[in-house]
Amino acid sequence: MEETPKQHYSEKEKNEIFNEEFLPHINSMYNFGYRLTLDRDDAKDLVQDTYLKSYRFIESFQKGTNAKAWLFRILKNSFINDYRKKTKEPSKVDYQEVETYYNSEEVDRQITPDLRVESLKDMIGDEISNALNSLDVDFRTVIILCDLEGFKYEEMAKILDIPIGTVRSRLHRARNLLKEKLTHYAKSMGYKNV
Amino acid sequence: MTPLSNPFILSDGSKPNCMEMLQLILDGEASADQQEYFRTHMDKCMPCFKSYNLNMSIKELVKTRCCGDQVPQGLVEQIKMQISQNNIS
Repeated sequence: MEETPKQHYSEKEKNEIFNEEFLPHINSMYNFGYRLTLDRDDAKDLVQDTYLKSYRFIESFQKGTNAKAWLFRILKNSFINDYRKKTKEPSKVDYQEVETYYNSEEVDRQITPDLRVESLKDMIGDEISNALNSLDVDFRTVIILCDLEGFKYEEMAKILDIPIGTVRSRLHRARNLLKEKLTHYAKSMGYKNV
Repeated sequence: MTPLSNPFILSDGSKPNCMEMLQLILDGEASADQQEYFRTHMDKCMPCFKSYNLNMSIKELVKTRCCGDQVPQGLVEQIKMQISQNNIS
């Protein structure tokens, strides 16, 4: 995110910003933490850590700007720098490979068969949530930011430190993978012509 | 009648394919001109029409099924307490 000049806030102002601009996003933050770690205790720790950091660095935040994107970025960085290192879970995806794939001719062919809206409507259990959780974390992340949280591409680019073109291509690939999973579920539910 | 000029054409002259147009529409990233163009385009392009409905349904389902988790009770208080302790020390 662009560097803003350091702000100077009184203790009262700090608490106001924290309570009125930061805390209202705590449920979204917890959901994001959970979808990243797939563990509720880890999500709790991640949220706690993010909020403590947000207070510590509150003077890097300009009052009235996009607090939600700022907080999401801190959480995402904590996840990559602290959580992933701690759990030693290596990134399973080679981005370069993914992006090269996206830009290749191959992506033009229809990756998934024609999943139908009707078969989606019957997925009333955890299928959607499970399908999302089964994606690699980097693909999961773009879907969460875009579809769950409604961030714009530009905001996502700043949260994730990637160019907008990469946001688009990663989203495209993530959605195709999600569709593949849902097609698989639809088939297992007995839809022959999914 | 002259056909509508395509507002999706990029400054370098390249034209996005159907899926790329659809993605901008789906994510609310398209301009008013682009939305208008795509609406007309969907009337003539069955794959786009089907994809639009399917992708929109998935997007909505993801939003309704994967949200709504409430933060554990007591966490907000815990965070506030820790901040005030850090401030004192």
